[in-house]
Formats: sequence, C-alpha cells, structure tokens
Amino acid sequence: MTAESTTSLPGQLAGGAGAARWIGQRMPRREDPRLITGRGRYVDDYQEPGTLHATFVRSSVARGRITALDTSAALAAPGVVAVLTAAEVNSPDHQLWYNMTGPGRTPGRVLADGDVRYVGEPVALVVAENRYLAEDAAELVELEIDPLPPVIDMQEAVRTSERVHHELDSNIAAALPKMEIPGLAERFAGAAHVVTETFRQHRYLCVPMETRGIVAQWDPWTEQLDLVLSGQGVHEPRFFYARLLGIPEDSVRARMGDVGGSFGQKMFPMREEHAIVLAARAVGDRPVKWIEDRVENLVSGGHAREETLTVEVAVDGEGVLLAARAHHLENVGAYPVPGNGQNGATSAVIFPGPYRWDGPGSVAYSGEAIYTNTCGHCAYRGPWMMETVGREQMMDVVARQLGIDPLEIRRRNVISRDHLPFTTPTTLVYETVSPAETLEQAAELIGYEQFRRDQEAARAEGRLLGIGLSLYVEPQFGFGILGTEAATIRVEPSGKVNAYMSTGSHGQSVETTMAQIIADEMGVAISDIRIIQGDSQATPYGAGTGGSRTGPIAGGVAHEAAQAIRERVTAVAGRLLEASPADIEMTDSVATVKGDPDGPRVTLAEIAAAAYLNTDALGPDLEPGLEVSKRYKAPGLMFSNACHAVTVEVDRVTGQVKILRYVVSEDCGNMINPMIVEGQIAGGIAQAIGGVFYENMIYDADGNPLTTTFLDYLLPTAAEIPDFEYGHVVTPSNTPGGYKGLGEGGAIASPPALLNAVRDALAPLDITLTEQALSPDKILTLIESANGSR
Amino acid sequence: MPELPVQELSGRPSGGLKAGAEVEVELTVNGRSRRARVEARKTLADTLREDLHLTGTHIGCEHGVCGACTVLVDGAAVRSCLMFAVQAAGTEVTTVEGLAPDAASLSPVQRAFREHHGLQCGFCTPGFVVSATAFLAENPRPTEEEIRAGLSGNLCRCTGYQGIVRAVRAAAGELAAASPDSNSHHGGGHDSNGKESA
Amino acid sequence: MKPAPFAYHAPPTVADAVSVLAEFGDEAKVLAGGQSLVPMLALRLARPAHLVDVNGVAELAGVRRENGHLIVGATTRHANLERDRAIGEAVPLLRLAAPHIGHSQIRSRGTLGGSLAHADAAAELPAVARALGAGFVVAGPSGERTIPADGFFQMVFTTALEPDELVTGVRFPVWGPGSGFAVEEIARRHGDFALAGAVCAVQASAGRIERVALAMFGMGSVPERLYALEKSLNGAAVDGLDLDDIGEQGVAALNPPSDVHATSHYRKKIGAVLVGRALSTAIKEAVSA
Repeated sequence: MTAESTTSLPGQLAGGAGAARWIGQRMPRREDPRLITGRGRYVDDYQEPGTLHATFVRSSVARGRITALDTSAALAAPGVVAVLTAAEVNSPDHQLWYNMTGPGRTPGRVLADGDVRYVGEPVALVVAENRYLAEDAAELVELEIDPLPPVIDMQEAVRTSERVHHELDSNIAAALPKMEIPGLAERFAGAAHVVTETFRQHRYLCVPMETRGIVAQWDPWTEQLDLVLSGQGVHEPRFFYARLLGIPEDSVRARMGDVGGSFGQKMFPMREEHAIVLAARAVGDRPVKWIEDRVENLVSGGHAREETLTVEVAVDGEGVLLAARAHHLENVGAYPVPGNGQNGATSAVIFPGPYRWDGPGSVAYSGEAIYTNTCGHCAYRGPWMMETVGREQMMDVVARQLGIDPLEIRRRNVISRDHLPFTTPTTLVYETVSPAETLEQAAELIGYEQFRRDQEAARAEGRLLGIGLSLYVEPQFGFGILGTEAATIRVEPSGKVNAYMSTGSHGQSVETTMAQIIADEMGVAISDIRIIQGDSQATPYGAGTGGSRTGPIAGGVAHEAAQAIRERVTAVAGRLLEASPADIEMTDSVATVKGDPDGPRVTLAEIAAAAYLNTDALGPDLEPGLEVSKRYKAPGLMFSNACHAVTVEVDRVTGQVKILRYVVSEDCGNMINPMIVEGQIAGGIAQAIGGVFYENMIYDADGNPLTTTFLDYLLPTAAEIPDFEYGHVVTPSNTPGGYKGLGEGGAIASPPALLNAVRDALAPLDITLTEQALSPDKILTLIESANGSR
Repeated sequence: MPELPVQELSGRPSGGLKAGAEVEVELTVNGRSRRARVEARKTLADTLREDLHLTGTHIGCEHGVCGACTVLVDGAAVRSCLMFAVQAAGTEVTTVEGLAPDAASLSPVQRAFREHHGLQCGFCTPGFVVSATAFLAENPRPTEEEIRAGLSGNLCRCTGYQGIVRAVRAAAGELAAASPDSNSHHGGGHDSNGKESA
Repeated sequence: MKPAPFAYHAPPTVADAVSVLAEFGDEAKVLAGGQSLVPMLALRLARPAHLVDVNGVAELAGVRRENGHLIVGATTRHANLERDRAIGEAVPLLRLAAPHIGHSQIRSRGTLGGSLAHADAAAELPAVARALGAGFVVAGPSGERTIPADGFFQMVFTTALEPDELVTGVRFPVWGPGSGFAVEEIARRHGDFALAGAVCAVQASAGRIERVALAMFGMGSVPERLYALEKSLNGAAVDGLDLDDIGEQGVAALNPPSDVHATSHYRKKIGAVLVGRALSTAIKEAVSA
C-alpha cells in the first residue's frame, strides 16, 4: 500500500492520475445486457448432453434410527443409473472441513448413516436420466425410521440428556464462556439504573431466488474433477473437494457462472454437493447435476437467525452507557456450517457498536451455540447481527425507562468523528467511522422533530404512529483467509483489457465497479475492460465474495493492479512516443504526451502490439508483454457505519403495520457507484422487513417444519416494500480508493429499527416487545393484552 | 423411455396419452415455430429450458409463487411452471429472449430495468421483465399503487424492489409519451369471449 | 419438484369429458386453470392417474343471460371476471372479487369453475357463490343437474360433485337497481389467500335494507353464509347501524381455523370488522345507485 493510496478524496484517483471519470458515477451495470435478455448462465443453464440428474431421499423424521433402507426397487426404475446411500458414499476418512474455519466439533457425514438428525437430512441419492424419472425412483426407495425423542427447543436442548449427536457429551456446539471481568460488577453496583431484557429472534432464511445447485463431472482417465456451482467463490470448493476425493487441488476445476443470489447460504458447499461429487466419481464420465428445489431450499438448505440476546446495561442518570453484560444463545441445528455455527464470538467484539461506553472492561459478552434436531445453521447476511438487534432495542428500552427520547439517548452516547481514533471496550480501533454524523443526517432526513409532533396529534386521535432508530458499525473482515483479494490484469495483444479477479460476484455488480476503478486508473475505455471471475483455473485464489469485503479489498487490489499495469503501459507508450513515461496521459485507451493533446498518439492496441508482437522495438530495458498480478492485503478489520430511521403506523384494529418512510444515512467511505451502494442497502432492508413481519421458519414440537413452501414461508413483494431514501456521509477509509464495505448492513441494522418503530407506536399501551415475527395476529395480541381484553 | 407412436399435438387430441408416453408438441416461441417431444407431465418451463434451449426463463419455486418462470402465452403473463407443454400446443409463447426487437437493442422495459438498477443477481429478472411488459400493455398509465400490486406476483430478493418499481414507472412514462392517444386502462373492458374490445 | 406420471386427456366436448371421468372415477382429476392443482402435482400431494384437461371444451367458455341470471362458463378465467363488461355489470361481486385472487399471472389461467370445484374455504369466489345463492350447473353421465351453492360446499376442498361430474357453468342471480356490493379481506401480503374476508350484497330503497346477502371466507371449513344476520338486517334503516355490533353478531357462531398465518381468535376478530366494512361499503353504493 503506497502512501498516495490512503485517504483518497472522492473523485480523485489514488495513483494521482487526476480526476476520476467513472469512479463515483451511477453508471448502469455491465452485467445487465445479458441478464435482462435472458442470456445469463446460471448453473442449471449448463446443459451438456449426457448430463444425469440427481434427487435426494430425505428423512421425514427429526430424529430416529434407520431400521430399513432398501434401494433395489429404485435401482430398477426406468432411467436410473445409480442409487447411493451412506454405504456407497460415506467414509470415515472424509475431510469435511473448510479452509476458512478448519475442523469443528460437529461429527460430519455426507449422507445419514444409521440414524437421522433433522427433517430433510439426505439419506439416499438417486441419479437418473432426468429429474422426473429420478423423483419417480426416489419414491421407490424404502426408508423406515424408528423415531427417537427429538430435541427442538434450545432451552430444552441444554437441559435434556437426549443428544443430537450421540458422539458428543452435550448439545453445546460452541461456547463463549462467561468471564469475570475485574471491576464489572462494581460498575453495575454503582450505576444509577440497571436495565435487563432478553430479546428473541426467530428463525428466518436466506432464500436466494436461485436455489443451490451443482454440476460435477469426473474424468476417470485423467482423474480430474470439473465442477460448476452456484456459489460465492470457486477456491473453497476446489480445496474442499480435492481433500474429499483425496486428489491434488489442481486436479479440481471449479467454476461459477452467474449466480442467483446467496446471502451466505452458498458460501460453503454442503452435504448435498458433497454427495453429488462423490456420485459423479462413482458414475464416472457423465456430468451429474443437482438443482435444489424450493422445498429443499426452505427445509434443508441452511437456516439462520434463531437467537436470543439477554442484555443487562448499567447507565447513569443521563442515560450514558456505563457497562453491559450480554449472553447470546444460538440454535444452530444439527449440522451448522461452517465450523460450529457460533456467531457469538464475532458478535462479542462488535457489540459495543457506535457507542463510547466506559473504557476497557466495561462490556462482557458470552454465549452458546446449541445443537438441535433441526436444519443446520448457515451464514446469512451479517451473521453476527444479533448484537445490533439486541443493543439497539435495548437503547430504546432504556430510553423509555428513563423518560429520555431514543434520539437523545443515542446523542449522549454516540461516537463522532471528534472521538477518532477510538478504541472500543473490546479493543477494536475505529479510525474512519461517523456514527454521530449519520445519526444527525438520518434524523434530519426523516424529520424527527416534526414526526414527534405528528405522532402527538395522531395519538390524540387514537392512531398508533411510531419512529425507530438503529445505529450500527459494520465490520469487514480482512484477516486469515479473508485477508486478501487478487487481480491479474492483462492488456491483450488486441488492446482489450482482461482483469482476472478472485471475487465471486452473485449480484454485487463486481463486473461494473471493478471496471470503473480499472478504467479510471488505467485511462482505458470502460467498454474495453472485461472482469473475469469464478474459474479456479483462470482466476487467482480468494475466499470469494461475502463479508462485505468487495469494496475495500477487491477495490483495493483493482486500484493497485491497475496502477501497476498503467506503469507498464506508459513505459511502452513513452518508448513509442519518445517521451518520459511520467508525461504520458491515457484517456479512453489512447496515449498522448502531457501538454500536447492533439499531438502524436498511440492507442492501447498499438502499445500492446509493441509489447507482444514487435518486441524488438522495446529495447533491452523494457519488459515485454503487459500483464501484472497483485494481491492486496487488507487491514484485519475495517468498519463502515450507518443509521436507519423508519416511521410506521400500526393499525390497532387489524394489527397490520404500514411503513411510512424509511431513511438510511450510510457512510461507506468513497462510493465506487452510489447506485450499487443503494441497491445493496435496499436488498438488506427488504430482507429485514421480511424477517420482522413476514418470514418465519416454524417447527412443531416434533421437529417437523411447518413452513415448507412459499405459500407458508412468506417473502415480501413489491406491494409490501416502500421506497427507501438515502443520505450519504463520506469518511474515506485508509484503503486504496477509500472504500468501505456495506453489503450486509441493511440486513443487520434494519430489524431493530423496525422493532423500535413498532415499540414506539405501541408505547401508549405500555407494551413489552421482545419478540419478532410480528404478524398482524401477534401485534393484535400485544394490543389486546395491554387492553386487558385477552 | 417407453416407445409409443408419437402423436401430433398442434390441436387437441380427444384420445388419451398414456402415462409416460411422449408426444410431439408444436408451438410458436418468440415468433418461430418450434417442436418438442415431451411427456404430458413435463412443464412448459422445463420444455422451454431443456428442449428448446431457452434458458432465460428461470425456475425459482415450481409451485406458482415466485414468478421467475413467467412467460407470455398468447399475450398473457402466465407461470410456465404451472402449465404443461402439451397445454401450450398451438399457442404463441413469448419468453424473455423474445422481448428485444433485435440482438443489438433492448425493449423499453428492458432498457428501463438497466437504467434504474432493477436487477442485481438477475435471476428473477426475466420473470419481472416479462410480467412488467404484459402489465404495461394492459395498464399503460398505472398509479403507484397499481404498479406495486401489478408487480406483486414476482419475488425479488436482491433489490428490495426499488429499481424495479422505478423501472416500471419510467417505462410507463416512456410508453405513455410515445402513444398519447392511448386511453386504455384496466377498466377498458373485454367481450365475454375473452377478446379485447375497443 | 416434478409431478408423478399421469395419463393425459384433452376432450373437446363436455360429453367426452364426462365419459372420461365416468371411466376413471376418482383416479381422474380435472385440469382447468391449474393454478391450484399443478402445485399439488408438483409437490406430489396429488397423484391422479388421469388428468382431464378441459381447457379445450368450447361449451365451458362464454357467458350468457337467462331469466334474470348470468350463466358464466366454468372455464372463464379470473382475468375475464375482472375485465368483462357483461360480467361486471350483471354480477358486480365477481368483478370486485377477481382482483383479490392471487396475481395477474394466476388470473390469466385460473378459472371460475376450477376455483369453485377446488373449494378452498379461504378463497373469494366460493363465498361470492354462496352469498348470491348461485347454482352450479353440473354435467354427469346421467345428464345435467344444478346444485345450489348452499349444498355444494361440504368441507375443506370437498364439494358435492361426484367423481364423474364436471361443473359446466355457474348461474348467478342478477340483482336489480338500488344494489350495492363489496368484497373486503385482510391478507398477509397482496394477493395472498385471505386470513378472513366478507362478501356483501345489499339492495336498499327508501332508506331501508330491502335485502342483504352476507358470506365469509377464511372463517370455517366452507364459505359461511350469515343467514341469521341477514334476517336481522332485513328492513333495517340504512343509517345508524352499529357496525361493530353487527360484525360481532355475524361471526359469533363461527369457528375459524388456526394455522401458521393466524389464529382462530384473530380471524374472528378481524372477521367481525370486515363484515361491518363490507356492509357499510355495499350500503353506500346501494343508496347512491
């Protein structure tokens, strides 16, 4: 990282090459032409002749012993090529861990073996000529299960002697133990007020519009595995499957085409994908394809969010936060992915958020991740978000108890730019955040003061209007495997520019944003740039796209690589134009000499021809070819921040909630493309609206999922989502370009803003709101209980 | 695959088609006559994607909720996962691949989606673009509420619908400007035989 | 999620359709719009050995007036219920109910006959049929009969249709001048099945209710007709009605279901409100008509 690339101002290029032309523009996306004409290529669009299709036979029981498993009738069914069970597929030698997390506590297996541990657990796999025939045959597999008492509720899971995993001595997947922090008890004892509350969050899901899917092909002669997956990156699967098959990693080629969303669910390949790869090897030659259907995606595709946070805060008489203890319980199902599924370890360090607290030792955080006989946990957009969901609701609870306005209590605690650099009680160092500034901008944009007046008037009429705030700091992870992103930029002999990146975009517009950076840094026509991702044979190693890292880290390497290749280009151009490389200006792929824009020129195509084809003209000291590879190492943790403000009206007759206005003040540093920034925020908010008001993955007491189709698991439509409004605060980061990540923030900060708004609307009824899944029925129940009419 | 005499299904047969038997279906897709040999239970969505290699129509739920599979059948937006290919025999089907006037340009609705950032991962997009095209043909001057209701049959998970609603608003505006004489609204009315009246 | 195999029939006439149904009895299912049936086939919750596609039966399409009734063909699409002038003028409740049915893509294909024969108690059209005392014209091997709405709906997804019978059309009585109509519902999202809903038709003159019909959906295992409430409202002055009280009366005897979307208690609570709203809206239209 060079000195010049720090704290860039918006509109200025890091490399000092002048004003940015594309960076900062709301430029339409380069992905769009193929996607809006139906020419995208998603995993199910890979349709090589001879492809076989797979379907799974799954457990319909949450926990039990398999007493019979007979595949003979299925094997004899029309079009069937193979029927596989644990006997054919599983092996005790299987390495079932990921690069990102290493081995975990959960005893892993590909197919259920001897027993089942959640409804939907894959037990057998049918491979046939097409999916129709595969499903016909799957019905012929005889599977009998003797039920055992299932462990469903996480409080029960901690108490009971029944084991989700009989190999383990408890149902605790991971624990962050309660620690005695010296002086903490005294802080509580001496505080003017201590407020305790437990916030419950229900189970809700990623639900990308494209379900999971994989095509795996094994070449028995070369012993090579070829994969196409719907995923977030190609290298994690490549390493995983090399380990699984016991072959060198370069014997695996993993590719992603276009991916129809993921939100964390596809970050790591899961058991079904493992089974397909093993089936492909068993079958040999022909590609084996599995496309998850929607019921599978809802029931067994990976679950999230079912957590509780018990928060105890100590505040002074003015509502200034002095200390907190938090305990975080997570229901991670039977087979959490990755590792043991615990978000609490991350939540613990992020929890202090945008507030100052009272120095080291003022915040203690503990928690447990608990196994149950339900579908296992997967990552979902801001997996650690319960810390914000609990903290921001707690601010409102404390505010109410002390008779302070929720905006005011935040003002008294919030970190502003004046406090930077700021070290949190959990030793995170904020250098470029602006919580106070976003708080003020959001309050102004939503017209907070005016709303309070409107609310007063509405209350006099018996109408329930409410306003909710949520302030948060969003981390971007740049340590370990997530610490770098890479780019190889090649100017082709034709003069076109290909950038091979380690990213795995699945909706994040990487082909556009990175092109904007590269076009500006290189002075190349943006239409001449192509961003290539998602092929382990061609694109450099990376963790894939996720964790809100694209802006700072991929953006960082795009800057560095583009600057580096620009040096090579200007060196050759200088030779051709007989000028110093420092005097070469590149505009729209044409090089001219500074001060002489109408004078001699060479195109990038001509420069490339010299670099590749007519290399004798280069002279002895110029390297031929035009290709550079860079890997950018990011700071371990980076931070962006935002404030969400939302107003609602609760219909006291029907319990329905109408969102009146939704405002976000976002600081993600410099914005490569504000249109894309806003799109990312919007998607997260919509998922939060879904989670708080519509979506609820429900199990009955026997562990049977009840919401197994889109008829019961309700996603919000355009009719349920209002227009969002955005304000931007810009505090550039210290990374090249000055960008900060923001992709997950909408989904993290929005739920507590919405909950706070409902809490505020119901305040005259003196209701305690600590749960989510606020269906109209639930809200009406709260209203009725306050009236004493129930 | 059971071998039975292949029947033509360009009209409607009065005889039955045995379970598992295949039949040749002829239909017009994006203006071209196409044939596919399918079992009766094969959905129109699967037939378009696999037999006709038009993979722009996507499958998101297979139970008629998400709208990713939306195509036009004789001009009406339908969920192609809820129709069998045999039912589409003799009809005119328009998929997302058939919306652009030519390979180098986009339809007004497609252009609007691009200008207004109406997509991110793009998976729901063909369904939306087809639905919006049908919606605006039926309702060229929609109110804000009508736009949102009109789009409620398609699910998106990436965009929060912001760019999609803006795109439809803009496309409506463009279409209205292009045909100022048009006064048809959804109350325009039809005759009882289903054909559109003046 | 692919359907299990079935034999496929596409009869061109009602007689052909009936003979196929007679031959295969309860192994056959009629395919009309498919918007309710095909998802069940995809989930393999329904696996009929025979599917009888009636979309090509010309006799099932079309609309005609006859003796103060509008006879609407069974394969009339919901979209046509919404847009067809003749239907909208003669039976406004159909025009009012249709936009609530799912989404436009559903309405392109879904049919009147299909929705009624499917008999989802949370659907609008069965409640409209009950409210108006519609007659279901049914063809079977022994000829044609008309089943009154009150006797048609027996249980959730269960009607009085025999396995070898086919709904060919529905006779809706046409209400005269001075009528007003309303369909009110609450759903989780736009286009969802209603948690509860009310259908109301009112005819008023000289400031009094001359006749009123009220039915509810989502409130029981069949669409419920509120006969007792109607009786108490006949002759009542249109002004000064206590809508809250009327609503409570309307739902008092009902026992709505509980499911993942709402409890019985909630449905009953909003059901009462919806009765009041539907009545109020219908009266307003009736007195201004």
